[in-house]
Amino acid sequence: MTAIPRPWGDGRELSVPLRLPSPGPALYLLPVVAFLLVWIYLPLLFTGVLSFLHWNLVSGSRPYAGPQNYTQLFRQGEFARAAGNTAAYIIGLLPFATVFPMAMAITLWKHPGRASLVYRSLLFLPVVLAPVAVAISWQFILAPLQGVLDTALTWAHLPAPDWLGSGATALWTVAVITGTKIFALNVLVYLAALAAVDRGCLDAARIDGASEWAVTRHILVPLLSRTTALTSFLCLVLGGQWTFVNIAVLTQGGPLGRTDNVYYFLYQYGFSFFNTGVASASAVVITVVLAITVAAHQFAARRLVASDQ
Amino acid sequence: MNITLNQVDRHRRGLTAAPAVCALLACVALAACSSGSTSSAGGSGTAGAAAGPTTITFESYNYGTPDLGGQGMQQLISDFEKAHPDIVVKPSGISAAEIYSHVVAQASAGNPPDIAEIGWSKEAAAERNLPVVAVQDIAPASQLTQLQHSLSPQALAAGEVNSKLTVMPFAMSTPTLYINATLFKQAGLDPAAPPATWAQAKQDALAIKKATSAQGIALAADNAAGSDFLTQSLINSAGGSLIANGHVQLSTPAAQNALAMLQGLAASGAAPKVSDTDATALFKAGKLGMYLTSTALLKSFETAAKGSFTLATAAMPGFGAGPAKPTYSGAGLFVFSKSKAAQQADWTFLQFLTSEEGFTVLTEDIGYLPLRPDAIASPQYLAGFLKSNPLLSPALSQFEHVTPYQQWSGAAGDQARLDVQNNCVVPVMLNGANPATTCVSVGNQVNQLLGAQ
Repeated sequence: MTAIPRPWGDGRELSVPLRLPSPGPALYLLPVVAFLLVWIYLPLLFTGVLSFLHWNLVSGSRPYAGPQNYTQLFRQGEFARAAGNTAAYIIGLLPFATVFPMAMAITLWKHPGRASLVYRSLLFLPVVLAPVAVAISWQFILAPLQGVLDTALTWAHLPAPDWLGSGATALWTVAVITGTKIFALNVLVYLAALAAVDRGCLDAARIDGASEWAVTRHILVPLLSRTTALTSFLCLVLGGQWTFVNIAVLTQGGPLGRTDNVYYFLYQYGFSFFNTGVASASAVVITVVLAITVAAHQFAARRLVASDQ
Repeated sequence: MNITLNQVDRHRRGLTAAPAVCALLACVALAACSSGSTSSAGGSGTAGAAAGPTTITFESYNYGTPDLGGQGMQQLISDFEKAHPDIVVKPSGISAAEIYSHVVAQASAGNPPDIAEIGWSKEAAAERNLPVVAVQDIAPASQLTQLQHSLSPQALAAGEVNSKLTVMPFAMSTPTLYINATLFKQAGLDPAAPPATWAQAKQDALAIKKATSAQGIALAADNAAGSDFLTQSLINSAGGSLIANGHVQLSTPAAQNALAMLQGLAASGAAPKVSDTDATALFKAGKLGMYLTSTALLKSFETAAKGSFTLATAAMPGFGAGPAKPTYSGAGLFVFSKSKAAQQADWTFLQFLTSEEGFTVLTEDIGYLPLRPDAIASPQYLAGFLKSNPLLSPALSQFEHVTPYQQWSGAAGDQARLDVQNNCVVPVMLNGANPATTCVSVGNQVNQLLGAQ
C-alpha cells in the first residue's frame, strides 16, 4: 500500500495500492507506430542516406557522393524551374480549392431540392473517375488540329492554340484540368461544413435588412473560414502531387520543362534516369520545404480562423 | 513509500513512449547496416516437375498494341508455342517509352523478365545497368555460327558488343516516308516521283496544304519513346554525326543545318507543330500528305488507308549533296535468365523469332524489316510477298547501306539522349527556338553531363 497526498491539501493522505501501469495502451499504439516507422520514417531515413550516395538502383556498388548530389541539384536550373512551376500550380489551383467550390456549395446550400441533389451527383463525378482515364480524355479534347476544342474554336473563327504544346498555355491548362477534380471534391467538403451552420443566424440578418450578398460575405464566408483554411492547406501541401498524373500523361514535363514540377522532376531522375542520388536529394529538399510550410500554415491558421461562438 | 499522482503519470508516459523509441532505434540500426538487395536472380524461367513445360516471361513493346503490330507479335508467340509445346511464353506489353525503366525496376527487385525487347537507343544503358546474359553465351556453338551466317551483317553488327553477340537483333527499321498518294494527286503531284530532297519535300508539302485542307508533312523526330533515330538520321544525312568520341556534336554546321531544316518545315507551314502521336492520327485519318517514321507502323497505315486513300512509300529524302544516310530504329532482344533450363528455352524462342518463319510474320504482319537475306529471296517465305507489296522496298534498299546507330554510353547516356530530344529537337521543331543558339547551349550542357559521369 502506498500513500498519495490528496490534491485538496487537507493534510490527510489517501492510501492506494501501487500498481505498474498496464501495457495495454502501448500495445494499442504499437501497430500504428510500426506502420508509420516501416512505411514513412524508415523510407525517409533511407532516402536521406541515398541522397549522399551514387546509385542507379541496380548496381551493387553505392559509392559515397558527399554533397555532390545537392550541389548538382542546385547548380542545374531544372530543379529551380520545377520549384517555380510547382508554386505556379499551387497558385493556379487555389481558386479551384477555395473560392469556386465555396461559391458552388453556398449556391447549392441556399437552394435545396431535387435539382440540387442532381447537381451534387454530377459535380462529384470527376472525383470517382480514374485520373489517367480523365487525362487521356483531355488529350483527345485538347489535341491540336483534330481535338474537339480546337475544332470548335476553328469553326468559330477563333484562335486555336496548341494548349499542351505551347509554353504560354501548357502549365495553366494542366492546372485547370487538375482543378476540375479538386473543385468537385471540395464542393462536398464545403457542403459538409455548411450543414453545421445555423440558418437562424442568416434569417436573423435578413430580417434586420441585410442583403443576400452581405449575408454571404459577412456571415457565411467567415463561418467557412476553418474549412477554407483546411482546403487551402491541402492545396498548398498536396497541389504539386495532384498535378503529377496529368503531367506524366499529357506533357511529360514539356514543352521545354514548362510543365515540370518538383515531383515529376523527382520521378524522372529516380525512375527514368536512375540517378537515385539526385532524386533522393530533391526528395529531402521537398520534405524540408513542406515541413516549414506546414508549420507556417498552422501558425497562421490559428490566428485567422473565425468561429460562430 | 509515497508516490505522487504526477510521478505515476510520468511513469505511465515513459512506458508508452518506450516501444516507439525502441522501434525507432531498431530501424536506424537496420538502415545503417542495410546493404540493400541486388541479387540478380535473373528471370524466373520456371520449369514444372520433370516432365512439365518451361515457362519464360517475355516483355515486348509491340505485344498488345493496335498500332505497333500487336497481332503480329501474338501470331509469333502462338506459332512458336504450337511448334514447341514444351515451352510456354508469358508475354506482357509495356510501352516503348517505359520498357527499359520497367525492366530496371524489375532487375532491382531481383526479378527481371527472361527476355525483354528493348529499343536500340537504350542498348548501351541496358548493357551497362542490367544483368544481361549475352546471346553468344547461351547458344550452342554450331547453331550460333549458323545464325551468324544467316543474319544480315548490319543486323549482326547492331547486336554485337566488342565483337560478341550480346543482343539478338530482332526488330529493325529505317525511316520511311509514307505518302498519301490521293492527296498528292489532288495537289497536282506525282506519287511515283516522291521528293528526293528536303527542299523538294517542303515544296510538295506546301502544295498539298494549298490545294487541299490537309497538312503537308510531318516527321517523327519528337516521338513518345524518346528515340533519337530520326535526329541521328537527319544529322548523318546532312554530313555530320550526332556523337563522336563520346561527345555530342550539336554545334557542328551539319547538326545545325539538319535542325534548321526541321524548323523551316514548321515555320513555313509545311509541317504542323504536333507530336508524333498527333501526326500518326492525322496520317491515318487521311489528313497528312507525308509522314517520315518507322516501318513498324506500315501495317496499321495499310489498314487505315483501306477504302480511304492510296498509300505509297519512299526512301528518306536527303539534303541534296548525296543520298540520305539513315540509321535504324527498332529493338533487340535482351536475355536475363540465369537458370540453364530457362536459357535453353530462351535460345529456342530466339531461334524461332529470327528464323525464316519468324521474320515472315514480323514483316508481313508488323512491318519490320526481314533481317535474313535467305528469307527475302525464298519464294516459300517473303519473295512473293515483297514482290506484290512494294511498300517495304524503299526501307529495304536503305537498310543495305544503313549507318550504325550511335550509342549513348556512360551512366548519364540515357539522360543525355533525352536532353537532346526534349531540350533541342522538340523546341526547335515545335516551338520556334533558334537552331544555332539552342544547339550550342544544349550541346554544352549535354557534354558537361557526359563529361561529369
